[in-house]
Amino acid sequence: MHQYVDIVVDGSKLKGRKGETVLDAALRYGICIPHLCHMPTLSDIGACRLCIVEHIKNGRTKITTSCTLLVQEGMVIDANSQRVRGLRRNIAELLVTQAPNSRAIQDIALRCGVTEPRYKFRSDDCVLCGRCVRTCNEHYNAHAIGFVGRGRERQVEYPYREKPASCVMCKACVTLCPMSITPCDGPMKPGEGYFCGKCESLTQAPQYEPGDCTRCDLGEGFDCARHV
Amino acid sequence: MPKIASIDELKTIGEQLTAARSDDAILMTVCGGPGCQATRCHDVAAELRKELDSNGFNGSARLRVTGCHGFCEQGPIVVIDPSNIFYGQVKPADVKEIVDRTVRNGEVVERLLYTDPSTGKTVLTEDKIPFYKAQTPTLLSQNRRLDPWSMEDYLAIGGYTALAKVLSGMSPEEVISQIKASGLRGRGGGGFPTATKWAACRAAHGEEKYVICNADEGDPGAFMDRGILEGNPHAILEGMIIGAWAIGANKGYIYVRNEYPLAVEHAKEAISQAREYGFLGEDILGSGMNMDIQVARGGGAFVCGESTALMASLEGKVGEPRPKDVHTVEHGLWNRPTTLNNVETWANVPAIINNGAAWFSGMGTDNSKGTKILALTGEVKNTGLVEVAFGTSLRTVVEQIGGGGRDGRTTKAVQTGGPSGGCLPASMFDLPVDFDVLWEKGSMIGSGGLVVMDEKTCMVDVAKYFLKFLQDESCGKCVPCRIGVDRLLEIVTDITEGRGSSEQVELLKELGETVAETALCGLGKTAPNPVLSTLRYFPEEYEAHISEGRCPAGVCTELIEYSIDAVTCNGCGACLKACPSEAIQGRKNKLHTINLELCTKCGICLTSCNDNAIVVQ
Repeated sequence: MHQYVDIVVDGSKLKGRKGETVLDAALRYGICIPHLCHMPTLSDIGACRLCIVEHIKNGRTKITTSCTLLVQEGMVIDANSQRVRGLRRNIAELLVTQAPNSRAIQDIALRCGVTEPRYKFRSDDCVLCGRCVRTCNEHYNAHAIGFVGRGRERQVEYPYREKPASCVMCKACVTLCPMSITPCDGPMKPGEGYFCGKCESLTQAPQYEPGDCTRCDLGEGFDCARHV
Repeated sequence: MPKIASIDELKTIGEQLTAARSDDAILMTVCGGPGCQATRCHDVAAELRKELDSNGFNGSARLRVTGCHGFCEQGPIVVIDPSNIFYGQVKPADVKEIVDRTVRNGEVVERLLYTDPSTGKTVLTEDKIPFYKAQTPTLLSQNRRLDPWSMEDYLAIGGYTALAKVLSGMSPEEVISQIKASGLRGRGGGGFPTATKWAACRAAHGEEKYVICNADEGDPGAFMDRGILEGNPHAILEGMIIGAWAIGANKGYIYVRNEYPLAVEHAKEAISQAREYGFLGEDILGSGMNMDIQVARGGGAFVCGESTALMASLEGKVGEPRPKDVHTVEHGLWNRPTTLNNVETWANVPAIINNGAAWFSGMGTDNSKGTKILALTGEVKNTGLVEVAFGTSLRTVVEQIGGGGRDGRTTKAVQTGGPSGGCLPASMFDLPVDFDVLWEKGSMIGSGGLVVMDEKTCMVDVAKYFLKFLQDESCGKCVPCRIGVDRLLEIVTDITEGRGSSEQVELLKELGETVAETALCGLGKTAPNPVLSTLRYFPEEYEAHISEGRCPAGVCTELIEYSIDAVTCNGCGACLKACPSEAIQGRKNKLHTINLELCTKCGICLTSCNDNAIVVQ
């Protein structure tokens, strides 16, 4: 039996299950808070910061990630305020200029309102969302990959950069990677600094309307939480 | 030394030790702090010991090597008590004269005395030196009264009496209410009320609780915690034991960075002494309280000064912060309630218990009580550790204590709080040292680093330096800090290399605010402060770089050119010999010229020229 608490997200009253996060509760009700590193059944690390919301408490608002914020009785959340949208847009801009060839990230960026990125494109591909590392560690208990290095040097690697015996090439990490969707072949060639907007056309779902998820192809490939 | 089994016994021993030290023997105190060690104070101390021994001063003259006195600029420092004579910049060769004249005959060695630059006169005693006069010595001044290796020295100045007071009848709630009444706030940078933290940790459910001392000091130019840990480790232990009593913990850790080998050594020695005397272990002073403390060494990551990253590191995991939606006072180290405080916070606790909350809250401002130790560095005459009451103006710190700018140059700004803090212009020097006031102005007192900058410092370059530091030290877990700071650095580098545009300034502001709002931990949230504060207070310098392609301070190499002034150059050839790229040509006694194609703008010619003939534009 679940115990429930009442929370308010974007003005809608929700019944949050005790122990679940604000993001999970919102997604269950079809309130789409953009997210990248969050995966159902994996631990949340709050790395991508896309799922930030305003937590309104005693008249003061605090920006925090909804994937790490547990529901509490009487909680008031604004997931779509102008401030949150602006910050989220800037984070999506950082992400998409870092890994411009990921269609999942392009889609997120467009949905967050990035049209003309103001930074030079890099083609790092990996944005260190850690989905691969967590599925390997938590689902398969293989601990075959992990994060190595600090800051700019941080990357996903085998221990001591050698494939351990615990890696059985199951490719769970690959299927969960935001890059695993076939990269957009047309407009995002290195050096070209603009969006074509085609990605968004694939996900023309009206936003923030409960029950309106179209179960789009992109969402499936990207393991969108609403697809599971 | 047998274990001290009761509070009465501690009292007797303390009184005996105090009495034994109050004879009229001459006491020579050599500062053994990090600054003085760099100027070889141990050679001076060894020479002094040899000289005292060979002259047969048994008992009538004692020598003590202590922790940091603060006045690093004058190191090595020797203070001779009871007359309080202060000798600065003492060399081993001076020792014989000191012993012969001052110790034996009570004369003064005039040339070793401190000369006050404002009056040109020498100052005889330590307490008359302007550097010390404007300070409020409470914590740091204990350093010069004890040898960090000697438990007896600490007991003689009333050490562990606060613990005895607590254990002889104060309830944990009373201790917390004392701390609350004192208004003590966290000295590590956050300024969180200590009593609130303790009370929450006491209320948290859990059999096992922990206290941690955060000694992972890593701000460039800051060494307050090092000064205390090396100079007075027992004060920290005493504070931690009292804190553990208050929250109900019986295990503590001192997390100290491994780059402080002496601090590690002193902390370990202090712990083993405390165990021997019975201040740690089972049934402390017969009260039934059990407590032990361990030293854990940090591996050199700046981010491990952040509380959750520090705990992860202590647990043996990668030192990365985690979101603090669940507080560490409830789920901290090994998921158990944990109280983490900074070195200076812990060290303040015994004095508050002994002297009362009113004594402590009598110092400082409305919301910031007590004193703060600051590490005064940069382009200022008197560098070192200073302790001032909160509310003291930055001007007092920089001009009165620091003695103003070096070589007569004008002080332009002060950078407070390390990489997390910001730069405040000279026009704001009347601001008090205060947690909230500085935060409102876009800077912070932080852990207490204070870097003074003058006209030769380029503020854009300062922002670049700190961004580079933070980019290296970011753990890389969250996007705003890893990519955001990297992009900030990219833009600032563009500006310093002449590729800047005015739109980039707007982007800097917007991105800076995004990083500050959305980063995961304290490191990321404060990372844009250096760039945001310089943008706020020195927009004209950014403007000069962008629209005029000029670095006003002559620092940014891409924007400057070296040349030789035809009138002042006397053709001495000093620059020609010094230039590593052979870019300077000219014959003896004739005007020299710089070949700009070969010049790497290293600035060596500038320092080698005695006639100021090298011009930077």
